[in-house]
Amino acid sequence: MRTLQSDGSSRKKIFIVSLIFMGLAHLTILKQYVKGALFALLEMVMIILAPKIFRLLQKMITLGEPQPDLPIFEKDNSMFMLIDGILILAVLFIFVSLYFISVRSALSTYKDYCATDKLPESKKFLSEFGAKAFPIAGLSPLVMLILFFVVVPLVFSASVAFTNYSAPGHIPPNNTVDWVGFDNFKFLFGGNATWTGALGRVAAWTLAWATAATVTCYAGGMIMAVVMHESKIKIVPVFRAIFILPYAVPAVVSMLVWQNLLNGSFGTINRTLIELGLMTQATTIPWLSNATLAKFTVVLINLWAGFPYFMLLTMGSMTAISKETFEAARIDGASRSQVFRAITLPSVLYQTMPLIIMSFTHNINNFGAIFFLTGGNPMVSDSTTTSAKGTDIMVTWIYNLTINLQKYSYAAVLAVCIFVVLAPFAIFNFRRTKSYKEGEL
Amino acid sequence: MKTNSDQTPINDSGELNQPDNLQNGGDAVVNESTIKDDHRSKETAENPENKDEVVEKDRVFEKQINKKSLKYQNAIQRAKNRTYKAFVLVFLVLVSLVVLYPLVYAVSAAFSPGKSISALSIVPFGSGVTTSHFQRLFKETNYIRWFRNTLMIATATSVSTILVCSLSAYVFSRFRFLFKKTMMLALLVLQIFPSFIGMIAIYVILLRIKGLDTLWGMVLIYLAGNIPYNTWLVKSYIDAIPRAYDEAAKIDGASNARTFFSVILPQASPIITFLAIVSFTGPWMEFIFAKLILRSNENQTLALGLFSFVTDRKNEFTMFCAGALIVAVPFIVFFLITQKMLVSSLAGAGVKE
Repeated sequence: MRTLQSDGSSRKKIFIVSLIFMGLAHLTILKQYVKGALFALLEMVMIILAPKIFRLLQKMITLGEPQPDLPIFEKDNSMFMLIDGILILAVLFIFVSLYFISVRSALSTYKDYCATDKLPESKKFLSEFGAKAFPIAGLSPLVMLILFFVVVPLVFSASVAFTNYSAPGHIPPNNTVDWVGFDNFKFLFGGNATWTGALGRVAAWTLAWATAATVTCYAGGMIMAVVMHESKIKIVPVFRAIFILPYAVPAVVSMLVWQNLLNGSFGTINRTLIELGLMTQATTIPWLSNATLAKFTVVLINLWAGFPYFMLLTMGSMTAISKETFEAARIDGASRSQVFRAITLPSVLYQTMPLIIMSFTHNINNFGAIFFLTGGNPMVSDSTTTSAKGTDIMVTWIYNLTINLQKYSYAAVLAVCIFVVLAPFAIFNFRRTKSYKEGEL
Repeated sequence: MKTNSDQTPINDSGELNQPDNLQNGGDAVVNESTIKDDHRSKETAENPENKDEVVEKDRVFEKQINKKSLKYQNAIQRAKNRTYKAFVLVFLVLVSLVVLYPLVYAVSAAFSPGKSISALSIVPFGSGVTTSHFQRLFKETNYIRWFRNTLMIATATSVSTILVCSLSAYVFSRFRFLFKKTMMLALLVLQIFPSFIGMIAIYVILLRIKGLDTLWGMVLIYLAGNIPYNTWLVKSYIDAIPRAYDEAAKIDGASNARTFFSVILPQASPIITFLAIVSFTGPWMEFIFAKLILRSNENQTLALGLFSFVTDRKNEFTMFCAGALIVAVPFIVFFLITQKMLVSSLAGAGVKE
């Protein structure tokens, strides 16, 4: 048992022993007592807690039974059960990862043994412990925060898509919630004409909005950057400072100001147009109260708020193009538009590509631009039932469903949809990164 | 390329030398040089020995050409440039007016008497100037309390974001470990979601750790929401710092933590400053989580307080503007001071990833 072959033939034995009990291989065969003891202690804690873990997982599967006779605070609360279950799953996930690491560590120690023909000493391990623990200690705040404040909430949200957690009738603590499989998906994707229609409308507008918002802001920012770069006007810095202002003012504030300025009946813009004699009291422009016009207004106001970011970005990228390139082109007799098309545009586009994609995904989820400007208004025919209004995009609809209608299950289905659509963009961006390409990861 | 045409040097022939003639007068340059070349080749063929004299004659001839052909070319060029410049100036002024209009109007509303926007004059500052809204803010509302709460949340969020993100970014950049690739990809996928999608779960988790209606609960939410994107941002920056620096520190006996704090952090200070600004400004106007988590009167933030002025029930637009102005002015000053750094940081984020 204790005899260890250095020709690689004991690999299977170590693998099995380390798999039987966490840290067993370290303790018995590899003689790394400290490390082995730590691993073993962890597994023992988990075994002691196992019944409790099992009970919590069981509750997550049943989501509680209706108990009409008990007072409210003693009833099974399905949502707490679901969240506790997901929290436990997160803990189990960490445990399984550590188990995996322990097996890997045993195997790699054995590999070193095969190469050097001696086992590492325990003392050496202790001195190395400080260095080895640094990455773990450094990442643990990130892992904990992300796991419990980002991953668990998102997994919870995804799970809710498969339950009937919605008003009326299934809101804890008065009632329990049950798993319903794909019923919500079926309902929203064709099961009910009103809801399916609203979903199609909102999804189409979300994509149109994200495309229009990204393209207008990018083009607007680039035009301003190029014009200021080309013009030989002395006071360009003054203009640049003015154009940065929308980026510096909190978007929420500027959106609320615009909302008031654009108000159809008492807004300053319409009143100004009346004073100028361009229209009468009867023919005021319904900037935000006509469903079609409101969409254009939202894109336009978003251009106001969003072009400075891309202007700054383009200006930064343009300084990276060498001045010799511009000079050479001009000596060769290239006109301004030729220089722009052949030099500025391609190089700036190339450099800012990842940020364009990022901006597109950001706009799909651009809650603030819609919510604080129009609040999703105006109402359209199905708004009373679905709470999806004329300029609502997916995320603002999710907010309405959660806060106003308490249809949590439908909101969760929409969140899953956004994930399915946006995840490929994130992976595409990941594969483009320099560190990924250089195989460093 | 020269960009300043107002400093037009006068050349030896007394002709105004337009620095722009290389840009748009390409044809003129070509014609001229052909003429010169023809002339020179004739001269050299006739008098091959006396080069100095040829050069001297050449120069005189060149001046004559300059005077005759360039005078006309330059006149057109100058006229063209002047119209172009005027056109650009008008364009920039028009855009500036559109950009400034809502901001100027909001500032004027903050100083105007009355409550709703419907009572305000359409001309900024047209309905008189008063500071009564500011007095009311400080005397009749909890503005100072809101401000203090928000300042505390923003400061704590900023400091903790810098610590967690830069430390994790350092580990991601310099160490190799299991699941590294998976974790990096997970961060990138997670950053596409707005945090409020999981707000019910976050509410329950805060309830479990007794973080409801507390300022530190808000900090935890904002911090967790900041981590995914910003860790990537800082990691890309640290990747570009030469490893020779930390290796030198290691050889001198510095521990990993020491290397991080005294070598990496100072080197990464531009991106850290950027991160500090972004994470500090974020919480000031965050509304959704503040409304969900902070219920009691004493824990309200600025966003909640200001929004209470423009609810459906009452529309005190002027009060809202006054309150927002106090917050926005330091922001604007801050952005204007740091705009150069913002440009390079934003470009860096695009170039380095």
